[in-house]
Amino acid sequence: MLPKRNLTTLLATGALLGLAACGGGGSGGSSSGGSSGGAGGSGDPWILGTTDSVTALDPAGSYDLGSWTLSYNIYQTLLTIPAGENAPQPDAAQSCQYDDPKTFTCKLKPGLKFSNGHDLTSSDVKFSIERNLKIADPNGASGLLGSVKSVDAPDDTTVTFNLSRPDTTFQFVLTTATASIVDEELFPAKSLLPDNQVVGSGPYRLDQYKPGQQAVLTANPSYQGANTPQAPQVFVQYYAESSALKLAVEKNEVDVAWRSLAPPEINDLKSQSSVDVVEGKGSEIRYFVWQFNTDVGKNPAIRQAVAQLIDRNAIAQRAYDGTVNPLYSIVPPGLPGQVDAFQQRYGQPSVDAAKKILSDAGVQTPVALTLGYTPTHYGPNAVDEASELADQLNGSGLFKVTLKDAEWEQYQTLYKQNAYDLFQLGWFPDFLDADNYLSPFVVDGGFYANGYSSKQANSLVAQEQATSDQGQREQIFQQLQALVAKDVPLIPSWVGKNVAVAGPGMQGVADTLDPSFIFRFWKITKNG
Amino acid sequence: MRGASGSLPRYILQRLLLTLPMVWLLLTLVFLLLRVAPGDPVSAAVGDRLAPAALAERRAALGLDRPLLQQYLEYLGSVVRFDFGKTISDNIPITQVVRDNGGATLTLTLSALLVALVVGVPLGVLAGRFRDSVPDVIIRVFGIVSYAAPVFFVGLLAQLLFAVKLGWFPTSGMSTPITQFEVQPRTHVLLLDAILAGNTTAVRDVLLHLVLPAVTLGLLLCGVFIRLVRVNMLQTLRGDYVEAARARGLPERRVLVAYAFRNALVPFVTILGLQVALLLSGAVLTESTFNWPGLGRKLVDYIGARDYAAVQGIITLFAVVVVVISVVVDIVNALIDPRIRY
Repeated sequence: MLPKRNLTTLLATGALLGLAACGGGGSGGSSSGGSSGGAGGSGDPWILGTTDSVTALDPAGSYDLGSWTLSYNIYQTLLTIPAGENAPQPDAAQSCQYDDPKTFTCKLKPGLKFSNGHDLTSSDVKFSIERNLKIADPNGASGLLGSVKSVDAPDDTTVTFNLSRPDTTFQFVLTTATASIVDEELFPAKSLLPDNQVVGSGPYRLDQYKPGQQAVLTANPSYQGANTPQAPQVFVQYYAESSALKLAVEKNEVDVAWRSLAPPEINDLKSQSSVDVVEGKGSEIRYFVWQFNTDVGKNPAIRQAVAQLIDRNAIAQRAYDGTVNPLYSIVPPGLPGQVDAFQQRYGQPSVDAAKKILSDAGVQTPVALTLGYTPTHYGPNAVDEASELADQLNGSGLFKVTLKDAEWEQYQTLYKQNAYDLFQLGWFPDFLDADNYLSPFVVDGGFYANGYSSKQANSLVAQEQATSDQGQREQIFQQLQALVAKDVPLIPSWVGKNVAVAGPGMQGVADTLDPSFIFRFWKITKNG
Repeated sequence: MRGASGSLPRYILQRLLLTLPMVWLLLTLVFLLLRVAPGDPVSAAVGDRLAPAALAERRAALGLDRPLLQQYLEYLGSVVRFDFGKTISDNIPITQVVRDNGGATLTLTLSALLVALVVGVPLGVLAGRFRDSVPDVIIRVFGIVSYAAPVFFVGLLAQLLFAVKLGWFPTSGMSTPITQFEVQPRTHVLLLDAILAGNTTAVRDVLLHLVLPAVTLGLLLCGVFIRLVRVNMLQTLRGDYVEAARARGLPERRVLVAYAFRNALVPFVTILGLQVALLLSGAVLTESTFNWPGLGRKLVDYIGARDYAAVQGIITLFAVVVVVISVVVDIVNALIDPRIRY
C-alpha cells in the first residue's frame, strides 16, 4: 500500500498534469530573460541546441568537439584561430615565435586573470601542459602535445616549450582546447577536476553544468581579452536525437541549432520561414580507404581506375542533397598548400580513361570489389554514399561491387582484418593545418594501418614538420597531395559545411561558422 | 488456511533470499553481454582517429587489456561494496548519474502509470461490462493499437501534431533552460523541487513538458491494462456472488464497482507489478524521442559509447528495481490471499 503522503503527492501530480494538459496554449517556446550577470553586452541570453556530447570540461580529459566547444568559451589558449582565418594568432599570448624548430617561446599579455580572480601567469601555462601530459587521460588529447619535452617559465610572462623534435605544427596544437590554460591553484596536478568546478579565463564562465542536459555560461567579468561577449548568458541544451533538435529549433525553443542535423532536416528547415539556415566553410571530410592487404587493394591500376570513375558531384547531390561539397584532395580547400590533386590528375569522371588504365595494366574486367561502410557512425546518409559509389562503379561495367556494412564497432575490426577492399571513413581535424590531413593518413600506412607504405611520403612529412618556412611547407604539401593522387592509398569524397540554424533575432552566427569549428559564443547576440 | 510451504515470514524470507542469485545472474549476464559485443569504450570514442598502438595504450590505461575473469571479479567485488565506480566516457560517478537522471525517469514512469490507470482501467471495465458491443470492439481495437504501436512512432506523431502543428506543448525536454537553471536541486526530482520552491511558473513549465511523453508511454501500458481489466471483469461478472448481488436487487453500478471490479483487481495488481519492466523499457525509447533527461536516455548514450561501467550500473539499478517490485507484489499478494504460497 502506498503511504498516504505519497498517494497524495501522486494524486496532486495527476491533477496538475491534467490541468496542464487542459491548459494548452503555452508553446513552451524559448524563454528569454534569465538571470543576467557578468560583463555581457546589451543582447538577450540565447539558447544553443546541439547533439554533441561532452566528455569532460577539464581540458586534460577531452578530445571531442562537444567538450571543446565549451572549453573554447571558458578558457583561453596562448594562440587561437580568429574567425574566418586559418593562421594562429595570439590569444592569452602577446606574441609567440619559434626560436628554432625545436624551441617555441611565448610572451603573455600582462594582467590576465581567471574568473575566480586568480592571476594567470606563465606558471599556470607550464602547469596546464605538464599536467595534461602527466594525466594522459584515455579520453584526452595529450597525444597532440607529444612533441613537448619540457616547459620553462623563466618569469611571470614568458613560457618556453622545448620540443623533442622539430615540430612546426606545435603552434597549431596550442590553438586547440587541450592546450587551454587552467588555474594552478585550483586544478589537481594528477587527476581531472569535476566538470561543474572548472574555472578559466575566457569570455564566459561556467555557471551550471548538468551532464547531457544543459550548460549555462555567463559573461566573465574578469575577462580582459578582445573577445567581449555580446550576450550576458548562453544556455547550451543537449539533444540525443537530431529529429528532436530540428523540431526544437523549428519551434524556436532553441535560438541556434548547431551540429548535427541530417541533410534532409537541413533542407526542410531551409523552407521554413521561422528560421535561417546559415552555412560556412567546413573541414570535416569523408574518404574511401584502400586495403593494401587484399589482392584488389594492392593493385595500383585498380585503385587509379576507381579514382578515375568516382563522380563526387553525384555523391554530393544524390547522397547528401547538396549539403556537402566534392573533395578533390585529402586536404580541403582553403588551407595553405592545398591543391585539387585528384582533379588535376584524373580530370572529369571517365569510363574510357578508367578502362584504359585497367587494360594497360592487364587487369581483367569486371573486377570484383568489396566496398564496406558503416551506417551507425557517420550518419544515415553513409549508406546512400556507398550505394551511389557502387552504382557508379557497376554502371561503368568495369567493376562488380559487393556492398557490405557493419555496425561501427564491428566495422573497425573488420576493415583491419581485410574484410573490404575499399572502405569508408571520416576525419575531423585536430587543427587547421594541411599537416593534420596528411601525416595521419600517409605516414606508415596511416592511423587505419591499411598497409600503404611510402618512404617518399614519410620523408616529405618529416621535412614539412621540420621547417618553419611556410612557403617551403606549402610546396611539400603540394607534393604530398600529388603523391596521394598517384598512389591512391585513399580516395577523397567530400568536405562538409559548417551549418547552423538560427531563429529570429539572432545575429553573428555566420561570423563564427568557419573550418576551425570553434563556435564563438561571444560573437553571437540576440535582439528582440 | 495455511499453504503447504509454511508460514508467511518464512515465505517472505525465501523470496528475499531468491533475489540474491537473480541479481547475481543479471550482473553476470550484463557483464558478459557487454564484453561479447564488438568494440569497447576506446574504439567507440576515438577508433577513427588513432593508430592501433595508441588505441592499445588507452585500453591498457582503462584496464581493458586484463583477463576477463580478473575484470569480472573486480566488478563483482565493487558491486558488493556498493561501489559502482565512474563512467568511462565522461568520468562521472555512477551514483551521480543515477541521482541526476533517476528523478526524471521516476517522474516520467509514475506519470505514465497514472495515465495508463486513469485511461486503461475505466475503459477495461466498460469493455467488460458491455461485452461484444460496439464500445467493446472500439475499446479492444484501441487497446491493441496502443500496445502494438512503437513508442517512438507514437511519440513522433504526438510531437508533430500537438507540439509543431497545434503548438499546445513543447516539442521535447523536461523544462525550459531557465527553469533548469533557476530551480535548485533538493530532491533531484525537478517537479518536486519546483513545488517545494513554490515556483508555480516552473511547476507549470515542467508539467507542460511532461504531458506528451507521459501520455505516449502511458498509452503503451494502457493497452495492457484494458485487456487485463476486461478479461478479469468478464470472469468476475460470471461469478456466483455477482449473481447473488443482482438477485438481492442491488443497483447495477454497485454490483459492478463493489463486487465485480473489486475482485477483478487482485490479478490486476499482480500483473501491474510485472509491468514495471515494460514501463522501464518503454521509458528508454520515450526519453530518447522526447529528449527527456532520464536514465533511459543516458543508457542509450552510454551503450553507444560502449561505456561498460555506466551501462552495468544503470542496468543493475533497473534490474534491482524490477526484482524488488516483483518481490513486493508477491508479498502483497501473499498478505491479501493467505492461500498463496508459491
